[in-house]
Amino acid sequence: MIEARELRRAFGGIVALDGVTLSIAAGERRAIIGPNGAGKTTLFNILTGELEPTSGSVRLGGEDVTSRRPHELARRGLARMYQRNELFDPLPARENVALALRAEAGPYRPFTAPARTERAAADAMLERVGLADRAGAQARALSHGERRQLELALALACAPRVLLLDEPTAGMSPAETARITQLIAALDRSLTIVIVEHDMDVVFRLADRVTVLHEGRVIADGTPAEIRGDTQVNEVYLGKVVA
Amino acid sequence: MSPEVFVQQALNGISFGALLFILAAGLSLIFGMMDVVNLAHGAFYMLGAYVTLAIVQRTGQFYLALFVAPAVVGLLGLILEPLLLRRLRGRHLDQVLLTIGVSLVIADLLGLTFGREIHSIPLPAGLDRSTQIFGGDYPVYRLFVIGFSIALAGALAVIHRRTRLGALIRAGVDDAQMLDALGVDIDRLFSRTFALGAALAGLAGVIAAPVFGIFPGMDVDALIYSLIVVVVGGLGTLSGAVAGAGLVGPADTFGRVLFPQFALALIFAIMALVLLLRPTGLLGRVRIAR
Amino acid sequence: MFAGLALAVAALLVTFPAWTAEWESSRYATTILRDMLVLAILALSLDLLVGVAGMPSLGHAAFFGAGAYAAAIAAQRLGSDELLVGLVAAVAVAAVLALVIGLFAVRAAGIFFLMLTLAFAQMVFAVAFQAADLTGGSNGLAGVHRPTFAGIDFNGPEALYQLVAVVFLGVVLISWRIRSSTYGHALAGLRENERRMRALGYDTMRLKLSAFVVAGAMAGIGGALSAYALRFVSTNDVGIGRSIEAFVSVLIGGTGTLIGPVIGAAVVLYIERVLPSSIPFAETVLGLVFVIFVVAARQGIVGLARESYARVRR
Repeated sequence: MIEARELRRAFGGIVALDGVTLSIAAGERRAIIGPNGAGKTTLFNILTGELEPTSGSVRLGGEDVTSRRPHELARRGLARMYQRNELFDPLPARENVALALRAEAGPYRPFTAPARTERAAADAMLERVGLADRAGAQARALSHGERRQLELALALACAPRVLLLDEPTAGMSPAETARITQLIAALDRSLTIVIVEHDMDVVFRLADRVTVLHEGRVIADGTPAEIRGDTQVNEVYLGKVVA
Repeated sequence: MSPEVFVQQALNGISFGALLFILAAGLSLIFGMMDVVNLAHGAFYMLGAYVTLAIVQRTGQFYLALFVAPAVVGLLGLILEPLLLRRLRGRHLDQVLLTIGVSLVIADLLGLTFGREIHSIPLPAGLDRSTQIFGGDYPVYRLFVIGFSIALAGALAVIHRRTRLGALIRAGVDDAQMLDALGVDIDRLFSRTFALGAALAGLAGVIAAPVFGIFPGMDVDALIYSLIVVVVGGLGTLSGAVAGAGLVGPADTFGRVLFPQFALALIFAIMALVLLLRPTGLLGRVRIAR
Repeated sequence: MFAGLALAVAALLVTFPAWTAEWESSRYATTILRDMLVLAILALSLDLLVGVAGMPSLGHAAFFGAGAYAAAIAAQRLGSDELLVGLVAAVAVAAVLALVIGLFAVRAAGIFFLMLTLAFAQMVFAVAFQAADLTGGSNGLAGVHRPTFAGIDFNGPEALYQLVAVVFLGVVLISWRIRSSTYGHALAGLRENERRMRALGYDTMRLKLSAFVVAGAMAGIGGALSAYALRFVSTNDVGIGRSIEAFVSVLIGGTGTLIGPVIGAAVVLYIERVLPSSIPFAETVLGLVFVIFVVAARQGIVGLARESYARVRR
């Protein structure tokens, strides 16, 4: 489903990605881990089209999308949950989701008011992520955990075939982490999911395969069990994190 | 175009560029430090010119105005920054809007005080003659403008590179928040920078007054030109102001001579092009604030 | 209930000259109100950009003036005083101009967008100034005829006023429909988080461009009315002063609201036209009021009203 080949990305003198190649099958759940600065967010930004690689290519569903812009990738079924929430803060949660739902049809109907069915659809999506009772609340009035839930709702509302989750559990309490992990685990198996995570429990719970990034390069790629046993990975990364 | 005319126009272009540098340096400085596009910059320029008018009308001393006018405008800047701009710290767009309001007030008050006619002041004593340049007569005052501007640029460069204030300004242009975190008094730095920028605008007003006259609406012209210079040359740096002025001055002058119908449009086109292709300007190095 | 109130206000507005006929300064009041409505149209169009889409434009008068010139010149060149000719010309020219400028301007955002729009508007000003054969240059275009429509000649001040009032109400209606539509909601999303809009699949560049053109076209309508009202078009109509006037109106009234720009336009025009008969420093007052609002009441009059209403309800 997703194929990245020899992705390189430099920012002036700093090389963020140094030849990253990976291949993610449709329906697969891949976790990408690595210490801070390993290039995970840069990789995501390239996959979503917000950044262009200095060299290398990206294929989505067999199509070369290396120079495609974010909205074009979104229209090809790519959805993203950002590490730092990208929500519509002053708008109600319901309207946040509604904007996502309306994206498919396109916005160029200047005299058409939002359909009445839309409210139910938005509420249904909020229900799915456990925010049904907060539908009318402003996004900025929600708690951190609720905002992450809303962030996930926005990604899901686009009915994507590929879901990119950038540290979905960042800053969450154990209870919130458990809830969102459960939500993701329960997602349809036809969805391809790529997760960047620091929380190893979440990784081992959700991932089919794990790719380890370090200093812009892939240093290991395998099942969670294999990765756990890999000495190099342990040295570089897992050793520094309390297992 | 004959060689004499060419030389004359070239000198005109350079002296106009010299004036533009003085005008734009302040704007660039304020933007570089505070991320504020000071849309009152033209009004400050205008204020400098009108103060010069008052001084020359009363004492006949242009050279006195050369010191007093920038000081007056700088003082105004020193008052306005903490009074108004500081309250909007972090709200860059609102700060820009604020400067619009300030410019309206200054322009109107000046019009009320001095009347809406065009005023002119004579060239200062000693500089009101012409000299022979490459076989043609050329006004000495314009050569003075060039020389003064070069000297000023030199002085600013020295301050920029060799003094503590300059170091703070360089650091502040780079990352004001970091300076704040390091314990530097940002409030004082900002108000001083704003005052310096304003004073430079006022100084430009003094220098320009004998050549361009003093009249309502001069603030808009000056603002537009200084915006163009700063955008073209590079927001936030003095060398950018030099580059921008060096390009816009001669371009405007030659444009008016060669295609008078489109001269103005030409300058704007250059600005728009630079903004699109190199948004930080030819020599600029500044993050684009929202 | 709201609809009834709105209808009543609309009726009062259109019939203003009639029920104020007994007033001593009836003619003057009608003229002032007429000019307020024209400015309100410009402000409403600007707010679509500034308040709804979050694109702060300081060059919107370019489209207002373009519309004014287009209406006047079309009437002249085509030898027709038909209202539709003028309005169509105004909207078309303003929209095309907005498209051309917008293609460049929307690539920038925030303060850079502000400066670009300012620069482009000044370019338009320069062209209007130079192309004296077409626009009359610094002298402007005088002798613009009042329009006719379906046999009605809008020559007299009352008739012209009613034309302006009706068009104003039309613009308000259109603005209202746009703001509450899915398109308007998308523009609001653009304002709040452009990055997220892109990630959701919206082509934000095209969205911004469309808003720019719609707003420009709307401003063009205001320009045409201005040409008819004043019977005169000048470079002032495309100048930075007019752009600032519109921006100040939007901010003072309250960005992002429907009546905010209208109220703001009324306040601004009052300060500029009615106040000077009592005090000589009207522009200063305008500048000070603007500064005060930017610093202390950024949400504008409508915002302040909403807040105090909310406070009272608690």
